[in-house]
Amino acid sequence: MGIKKFIKSVQSTLGLEDYKNEGKKKSLKDLLKKLTSRKKSITALLKTPLDKKEENRLREELEIISLQIKKGKKILYKLYAKK
Amino acid sequence: MLRKIFLPTILVILAYGFWISPDFKEISAGVAIFLFGMISLEEGFKAFSGGILEKILQKSTDKLYKSIGFGVIATTIMQSSSLVSVLTISFLGAGLIGLAQGIGIVFGANIGTTTGAWLVAGFGLKVKISAYAMPMLVFGVILIFQKAKSLKGIGYILAGLGFLFLGIHYMKDGFEAFKSTIDLASFGGTGLKYLFMFTGIGIFATVVMQSSHATLVLIITALSVGQISYENALALAIGANVGTTITAIIGSMSSNIVGKRLAGAHLIFNVVTGLIAIIFIHQIMFSVDYVSSVVGIANDDHTLKLAVFHTIFNVIGVVVMIPFINKLVVFLESILKEGAIKTDQSFDSAKYLNDSVLELPATALAAITRETKHLYDNAFEIITHGLNLKRGNITSSKDLDEVIEEPYSQNAIDIDNFYNHKIKGIYGEIIDFSTKAQSQMPPEYIEVLYKLKLANRDIVEAVKDTEHLQKNLVKYSTSANSYIQEQYNTIRRDLAELLRNINIIANTDEEDVIMLMLSKAKLHTEKYDIIANGTLDNLIRNDLISNEMATSLMNDSTYAYGISKNLIAMAEIIFTERSSETESLSEEMAMTDEDIDSILGKEDK
Repeated sequence: MGIKKFIKSVQSTLGLEDYKNEGKKKSLKDLLKKLTSRKKSITALLKTPLDKKEENRLREELEIISLQIKKGKKILYKLYAKK
Repeated sequence: MLRKIFLPTILVILAYGFWISPDFKEISAGVAIFLFGMISLEEGFKAFSGGILEKILQKSTDKLYKSIGFGVIATTIMQSSSLVSVLTISFLGAGLIGLAQGIGIVFGANIGTTTGAWLVAGFGLKVKISAYAMPMLVFGVILIFQKAKSLKGIGYILAGLGFLFLGIHYMKDGFEAFKSTIDLASFGGTGLKYLFMFTGIGIFATVVMQSSHATLVLIITALSVGQISYENALALAIGANVGTTITAIIGSMSSNIVGKRLAGAHLIFNVVTGLIAIIFIHQIMFSVDYVSSVVGIANDDHTLKLAVFHTIFNVIGVVVMIPFINKLVVFLESILKEGAIKTDQSFDSAKYLNDSVLELPATALAAITRETKHLYDNAFEIITHGLNLKRGNITSSKDLDEVIEEPYSQNAIDIDNFYNHKIKGIYGEIIDFSTKAQSQMPPEYIEVLYKLKLANRDIVEAVKDTEHLQKNLVKYSTSANSYIQEQYNTIRRDLAELLRNINIIANTDEEDVIMLMLSKAKLHTEKYDIIANGTLDNLIRNDLISNEMATSLMNDSTYAYGISKNLIAMAEIIFTERSSETESLSEEMAMTDEDIDSILGKEDK
């Protein structure tokens, strides 16, 4: 067995092959969790009476967060597809 | 003067010694080979320090016991307290760890270094060590010639160990042959006089060799052949412990004030420990006898008993000093003050860039990142005042419409003067230091360094754009024409909002907040660009502002747009997490031009 093959087999036995992607997945999941909870709280706030300025600010934030969640999910699907 | 005559004197003494005694030559060659082995070993460990060591160090220094443990383990593995001290100074210099943690590591390194005595006394003298040295040297040198960094590192470590073993072998042989001509033990004796005399010799020998490890090996080999008495060997070991602080002091000379404080702590610790060992020498010797009998060391095995002594007195030193660490930090901070090394207070200079952080690519990058943040702090002051805003109002939660109502000054500030005093020097130092650091960096670090250089350029560009913007801003923000006045105040308010968002980004660890603020900043830069959103056209078409005003507004909105773009780009580089996984994630999740267009398109509908 060549040295490269040996290292590869050790990596796969220990599950180290995909450790970078695993780390990325974990960070992304944590981030999505935070973004989702922020989205929920903004949506709840928007249901209460607010002045125009505040409402616009929150709507804009909601728009950005929704877009980030969409992007994040796309990356996550790609990461799972890689596996 | 002393420095100039020191080296020639040592060389002359050595040459004379070589001439009159071939055995002395063999011992000295042994020491030289041993020291070369230490250098090689250090080189090898440095090859592996690009990442792993930094991560361990950062995670294992949040508690004092962890710092001490790290010092013990790192020194045991690397067999060099000097290397651990130099690396600690490098981390301190880059601001990655605090002084208390640094002191903890140095304390631990003092315990870790005692394992060297155990290895030499227990293993080095009991087996034919040179038999291991030769194959290690051959394998080591072959590996050194390999291209792969890790193989090269292993090569240096193997060659280093080989040279260490070979050095010990020559020292041992030299002392054995020396014994037949001169009995050095006859120069020794007991009593306080000899205790101080041999402690002094130990200090001197360590200062000359720059390694307490080498001194200790020399003591152990001399002791093993009976060339020095056990009592005198103990005094020499105490001296070696004090003398080793000189290496740390020399290492700290190129460091910033924190590195100097650590070297001070090292000196105080080793001197106090040495004094304790001298004062309580008989009690410690009694403890050594007791411990030796418990662990089964023969009463006449003086080399191993010396190792026991070395460990006991260093452990006592650490135990005695632990309660005083915080007081030591306060004391060192009071006698070695930050401002004392500044020459000209009016010109701000780099705080974190010093040669000690160049030891590791990671510390060099950390120092440059911190310095870039320092540069941004200065730029923040200049931009805020250039916009005629108060810094405190920006960092507060005050309504932005109120913030722009409160001017910083009635007159325009001299941005050029500010630039020369607070930006130019630091920027120059960062670029100069980056060039120096780059020559010792692997490609993956150079990529990050390149981004940091861009961030610095962005900051400088933003300041320069503020200078251009300021000229008309002062004139028109109080103009009689309410339309132009409103536009310039809008520019001020938008930039104030951006500065506030960057301030939030700089002070949070929450990734979602950073992402939201950066996205918001990008969106607003496009949304409030008066050329793109048609505001300027509207003002001209309806004849609300003069041609001169229109030209000024068009130019200045371009400057404002430039400031926003540069500051956002800078914030994305220096305020986002730089760990490999999250960095690529931040880049992938960042808001693109298409995203901005889609949000703005929805708003228009």
